[in-house]
Amino acid sequence: MRLEFCWFCSSKIYPGHGIQFVRNDAKIFRFCRSKCHKNFKMKRNPRKVKWTKAYRRLHGKDMTKDSTFELERKRNRPERYDRNVMENTLKAIKKIDKIRHDRAADHIAQRWKPKAAKERREARKELEQSISLIKAPLAIQAQEPAITVPKIKVKVPKQQTLEQPMEE
Amino acid sequence: MAQYDFKKITVVPTGNDLIDIVLSRTQRQTPTVIHKGNAISRVRQFYMRKVKFTETNFTDKLSKTIEDFPRVEDIHPFYGDLLHVLYNKDHYKLALGQLNTARNLIKRIREDYVKLLKYGDSLYRCKSLKRAALGRMCTVTKRIGPSLAYLEHVRQHMARLPSINTGAPTILICGCPNVGKSSFLNKITRADVEVQPYAFTTKSLFVGHTDYKYLRYQVIDTPGLLDRPLEDRNIIEMCSVTALVNLHAAILFFLDLSGSCGYSISQQAALFHSIKMMFRNNPVLIVCNKTDLQTLEGLSGEDLKLVMEMKSAALKTIPGQGGEAANDQDVLLTMSTITDEGVMAVKNAACQRLLDQRSERKMKSKKMPTVLNRFHVAMPKPRDQKERPVCIPQAVLEARAEEAAHEERKTEKDIENENGGAGVYSASLRKHYILADDDWKLDILPEFLDGHNVYDFIDPDILQRVEELEREETAVEEDGGDFEMEDEDFTAEAEKDLQEIRKRKKLLIQKHRIKKSTAESRPTVPRKFDKDRKFTTERMGRQLSSLGIDPSRAIERARSRSVSRKGRKRERSVGGDGEDEMEIDGGLDNKKKMRLRSRSMSRSRSVLSQRSLGEVVPGEGFKDSAQKMKAVTMARNATKKRNKDARRGEADRVIPTLRPKHLFSGKRSIGKTDRR
Repeated sequence: MRLEFCWFCSSKIYPGHGIQFVRNDAKIFRFCRSKCHKNFKMKRNPRKVKWTKAYRRLHGKDMTKDSTFELERKRNRPERYDRNVMENTLKAIKKIDKIRHDRAADHIAQRWKPKAAKERREARKELEQSISLIKAPLAIQAQEPAITVPKIKVKVPKQQTLEQPMEE
Repeated sequence: MAQYDFKKITVVPTGNDLIDIVLSRTQRQTPTVIHKGNAISRVRQFYMRKVKFTETNFTDKLSKTIEDFPRVEDIHPFYGDLLHVLYNKDHYKLALGQLNTARNLIKRIREDYVKLLKYGDSLYRCKSLKRAALGRMCTVTKRIGPSLAYLEHVRQHMARLPSINTGAPTILICGCPNVGKSSFLNKITRADVEVQPYAFTTKSLFVGHTDYKYLRYQVIDTPGLLDRPLEDRNIIEMCSVTALVNLHAAILFFLDLSGSCGYSISQQAALFHSIKMMFRNNPVLIVCNKTDLQTLEGLSGEDLKLVMEMKSAALKTIPGQGGEAANDQDVLLTMSTITDEGVMAVKNAACQRLLDQRSERKMKSKKMPTVLNRFHVAMPKPRDQKERPVCIPQAVLEARAEEAAHEERKTEKDIENENGGAGVYSASLRKHYILADDDWKLDILPEFLDGHNVYDFIDPDILQRVEELEREETAVEEDGGDFEMEDEDFTAEAEKDLQEIRKRKKLLIQKHRIKKSTAESRPTVPRKFDKDRKFTTERMGRQLSSLGIDPSRAIERARSRSVSRKGRKRERSVGGDGEDEMEIDGGLDNKKKMRLRSRSMSRSRSVLSQRSLGEVVPGEGFKDSAQKMKAVTMARNATKKRNKDARRGEADRVIPTLRPKHLFSGKRSIGKTDRR
């Protein structure tokens, strides 16, 4: 018995679940449940359906390249049974699993990081711009006299402007 | 010799039936309409056709019957004798002869009447002639009625005769009644003959089939014979005698040693001797039955002597070996049908005797030498006197010895059988695994772990790789995961401010939404007609102070410029209060200020409480008092109706129970419940 992967959503198919479809060219499609099967019959491309692993990996939402994936490989040659190897393998599976999970979580956390910085910037901006809703500028001026916009005085000569139109 | 099949003889109709059949056929199958106006030739033709047709039919049917029935001379003498025994040959022949005569008579009638019809001159005469012809034919048929009935009876009986193949090797069982002939037949063949304790249970011949050395043998069971002269024998006995005489078969003469059949051994011996003429060349076996009751050894001297006499008579029938003691065993046999001992031996002996006889005959025939001449077995002439025994190589001998030894080895199948058989014991396939350590043979191999296939991970150096992985992980951690943010976090005050801002914004949006939704349905009243007194200086003061500004100066200014104040000013000027005018800008003393304020406020408040229903208030939008009253009544009426329905307002369309049971269930006393 083997745990297979659903062709559509890439989830694990345990024994006793799902449907297998064999096409005339002898390609086997396994589905974990009728949802995936029906989507397949509708000829939907899993790479375009948001909730599938294929989409997520393609669009970089989930981890794709990692050394832990190379340890799990379908081997076609049967090995002679060795108890020690089996023991080691079982222990190793647990460790590898944990490492893989941690790395996947890291990947997702990395994705989310820029959002925090962006939010902070936006909040700062909002604070600056809309402070007038809760505090009047006069009050702010009163509180922090340092933050005052300096007045710029511009001198405009009066006589010159009057003379010129009259001459013409 | 024509082939006869007794089962395929057509049914012989009775006389009346035959007449009916033929006449109705004539009526149906010949034209029925003729007029006296038709040409005379046509009339004659019409009636002649009928006569001919009738004659043809009669002749056909009678001929068929005559031909179907076998001619006693033409069939095998066994059947011939059997027919004679059962049906009386003479009677049989007579009946058939009568049919033949009738046929000829009918033919004669037809010839005569056709000749007469040729000269019939009117329709009536022709018709009468035809009637006469048919009538005579029918009379003839009526006269042979009894013969037809007899023949039908014979036919039915003949069809049920046992189908005995006269050419096949046969075994005939005969003896006194009740000795166990039918039981023996039941034992060796699949026949199921009735076996009963009374004599003459078997009333006719029964046939069974059995196999021996790839040959099919017929076994015929006969009714019991009594020791009587031939003339006195009844039909049933005659059947068995016929079979004895005419069939070439191995004859098994059954002896009952115990005498429980009702006849003593001497009586049975007498019977044997009286019928031994009929055996002729057939091989005879004496079978002593019922040995479970009485064995051959236990017989008395007299009886034994009789038996030996019979045996010697039987011995004479062995071809070419008369009287030799070597084949003693083949002639006298013992058995018991109840305990089944010796039954097969008897059958085998009988069949073997027949085979031997056959081969003997073939040897004696004239053809044999010609056949023998075709064989020539060439034997090489010996070169010298040297012995040349069989030569088997040593290796082959050893291998054979080993194989013999191996056969004692216990196979898996033996172990399975020991431990309870196929359903109970399942062989352990793991027993013969070749592993580095034999303890591992019984290990349970896991296939899944935590949702992974274990077989995908198996690797001799998996631990090493996992260690590498772990080292990688720790290295990455030590690097110091994330960089610190360059921006600082907000202070607590700034956070609070931010939240306030957001709350304020939300409120603004909400208010705007409300205003937007009701803007179409409600007239926007300018602020100066502020009925609800929302826009007060107090409110302004509160809002300003929440922004952080001191509101006192703004409140003062607003109040000084209010309408009520201005209104009061004018009144006082009319009244001639000049002193106050002068001091407006700056210094009204506090008392006056308070009075002004209080009066203005109380006035507007009291206005509210003292106003009557129909009085027009400037901000509301009514033309005059009458219009306002009309509006008021309309509102009242609407609310009355709504209150009765327990509705909170215009927009309240709630139905407390959508499908009340009393409206949606039950039958109507009259009418249908299609719609509810």
